[in-house]
Amino acid sequence: DALLPAPQNISILSTNMKHFLTWSPVIVRGETVRYSVEFQGEYEREYANESWIPICECSLITATVCNITEDISATVAYNLRVRADVGARRSEWGTLKGFFNRITTSLTPPLMKVIADGYHLLVELEDMGPAFQFFVLYWKKGQESRMQQTVVKEVSSVVHLDTMEAGPDYCVKAQAYVEAINRSSSFSQTQCVRAQGGTSMWLV
Amino acid sequence: KLFHFGPCRVSMSVTEIRSGFTAIKANIQARDPIRTLSILSHPHSLHKVKLLDRCCITHHLFNFYVDKVFKHCKTEDSYINRKISSIANSFLSVKRKLGQCYEQNKCLCGQESKEKFKQILANYEGLNVTSAAIKSLGELDILLDWIEKSP
Repeated sequence: DALLPAPQNISILSTNMKHFLTWSPVIVRGETVRYSVEFQGEYEREYANESWIPICECSLITATVCNITEDISATVAYNLRVRADVGARRSEWGTLKGFFNRITTSLTPPLMKVIADGYHLLVELEDMGPAFQFFVLYWKKGQESRMQQTVVKEVSSVVHLDTMEAGPDYCVKAQAYVEAINRSSSFSQTQCVRAQGGTSMWLV
Repeated sequence: KLFHFGPCRVSMSVTEIRSGFTAIKANIQARDPIRTLSILSHPHSLHKVKLLDRCCITHHLFNFYVDKVFKHCKTEDSYINRKISSIANSFLSVKRKLGQCYEQNKCLCGQESKEKFKQILANYEGLNVTSAAIKSLGELDILLDWIEKSP
């Protein structure tokens, strides 16, 4: 039996604190190849004899992607590896080149919907997960110097920002912030609305 | 979140550590048959530690958990091991930050904190290593509660 090649092109896709390990499939004609993933944090390297910990949700799977978010739950450098199995044949481990630290996750601006409910300026924010807070900035159009900010720690419902005067446009933008890694996303597109009696009006 | 331990300020995700611990707390505490003894709270509660001594005690406690406790907590349960790993790696991250402040001589170790930590070690070494490690892990919420009460 030819030796089973180790999985190649192992890489991490990490966006908004959701981390996925991916790799290229190992091709064996007429056979189903299965994969298993293990991780090793800095603690394991330095204090637990460089031990590796299996991710049971990604043991003997046929997919070439594994959600490792649950296990990458500290801001330290992690090692990750994958191996292939076909029947009784097993490959060597393929290891991620370099470490992965969640501090490098890419952060996207939050989806946001600004609502003028009568004279009330409201904002609805995307639920990006428990690790996220939001900085919401709002101002009267043309009075950027008098911008106000509010911090939204939990996205459970619509947030009331201000009570508007009739006439001027009110503009809003928001950015996501992750305290665990002390990083923010860029700002969302600015959205402006105007109070008009009881009806909602969107102006972009 | 930023925590103040005397002169040392350390950012720490207590929420993440606590959620990892909550997921395994019942399982870990069920493995601890000796309910009458405490590693962290015998004979005195952590809450009796003076403000000035908080930095030194916290520094030593994080070292204690990283150096002594977690490595002896391996179980037959993969899920438990994964959660212990995430707590251990979070503790390592905090231990590093506290260590830097400690080395800059900002952490004063008064006699009381030395006595308190000596007592914790004595409590720990009074049991066999696995029981002591599992008990210490089971008392993590005592430590987290005390940390979160820091002014």
